[in-house]
Amino acid sequence: MPRRNEQMDELLTGLREGYNPPPPTPREEMWAIIQSRLRATPGSGVHSMDEARRARANRLHRPLGWVTAAAALLVLGLGIGRMTAPESGPGPAVAPVQNPAVLRTASLDHLVKTETLLTLVRADARAGRVEPSLSSWARGLLSQTRLLIDAQGDADPAMKRLLEDLELVLVQIVGVTNENENDPARVRSELNLALDGIEERNILPRIQAVIPASPRFVGT
Amino acid sequence: MLRLFLKRERGTGTLPGATVSGRAVSHGVKRESTAINWALELTDFELVERARSGDQAAFRALYDGNVDRVFRLCFRMVGDEHQAREFTQDAFVRVWECLGQFRGDSAFSTWLHSIAVSVVLNGLRKVDRHRKRERSLEDAGQLGRTPRHAEPGVADRLKEAVEGLPEIYRTVFLMYDLEGFPHGEIAEALGVAVGTSKARLFRARELLRETLGEAMREYA
Repeated sequence: MPRRNEQMDELLTGLREGYNPPPPTPREEMWAIIQSRLRATPGSGVHSMDEARRARANRLHRPLGWVTAAAALLVLGLGIGRMTAPESGPGPAVAPVQNPAVLRTASLDHLVKTETLLTLVRADARAGRVEPSLSSWARGLLSQTRLLIDAQGDADPAMKRLLEDLELVLVQIVGVTNENENDPARVRSELNLALDGIEERNILPRIQAVIPASPRFVGT
Repeated sequence: MLRLFLKRERGTGTLPGATVSGRAVSHGVKRESTAINWALELTDFELVERARSGDQAAFRALYDGNVDRVFRLCFRMVGDEHQAREFTQDAFVRVWECLGQFRGDSAFSTWLHSIAVSVVLNGLRKVDRHRKRERSLEDAGQLGRTPRHAEPGVADRLKEAVEGLPEIYRTVFLMYDLEGFPHGEIAEALGVAVGTSKARLFRARELLRETLGEAMREYA
């Protein structure tokens, strides 16, 4: 074993010197570009967390007005259908939506909102706490995710799988936000589980791959 | 006054702030007072406060204190100077835009490194989603049995072996073994538990040992 460790040390020494050895930092060149980028985005100044959230919500909601309305109608319809469906009788409680284009638009709109939540949760997690306001947001998205899963039927298996993975992650996030704030260790542990879930299921890259690069969906 | 001082310091090629906070100084620790400059009397946290109000000189002081380490990390991860510059600039621009979200729960440098790592990993995914380092965890077990077609030198084999590590192991390995980040900071940067960081490092070394069995014997 000591021999093995010696070999590993030699290996690491070799790598420190030989693996992508960084050149001197081009400090001034990079600063010049950073400054020009900061100047090129007036008003990109510093915002508080709440301001950032409000700005983001505004950016998302303005161009997505009609899509949001369509999605809300769809979800409402599904919800009413679910509540008023007879208890007995064959077939699923909610019939798959007949128009795949509408369903896909609603799903994409939903994914845009969920991506925003996941990004904020990840940012909060790095600071070691979760904003209490995320709780109701996560719950709402979880309900919509479940309704959309039911509505998918066999229309789009890939989207259905993504929504199912998303459901699991949202359940974890709701679990985190349910935790007692007086027990930060517990919150932290739950948060790590949720983050591992996001990472292991590759959720954010999958969402980003699905969302089209249309201006309607920009802002993510 | 700060601008003047920074100009003078840049002329000498060294910045006192760089050596001080290059060692991940906590925001609660005062910088060394080596000059009549008030900026060096400020903690990172105080500099962030000033930068939040739009003070680019304070932001420049934060940049000077941290850019070396960020650039080194980016370069180690991508192995290309142009890309490393891009990612470093992106990270600092992102930091400027998100200063309102920095709560001071961790050191500024830790928060900055987490943003830099996120920028690099997302950037690499965008550049080439199908690179071999994106292979899944399941493939990691096959690493040691991958046949080689040529007989490269030891240095090439080392590089090839590190490049071949799955991303989650490679990132921890580069940060800990090559750049000397502590596990606590790596865990914060990646949004995982400290134990997870340690486990990933252990697995990364195991994979390297497996892959480099032959090369390590040559070292002996």
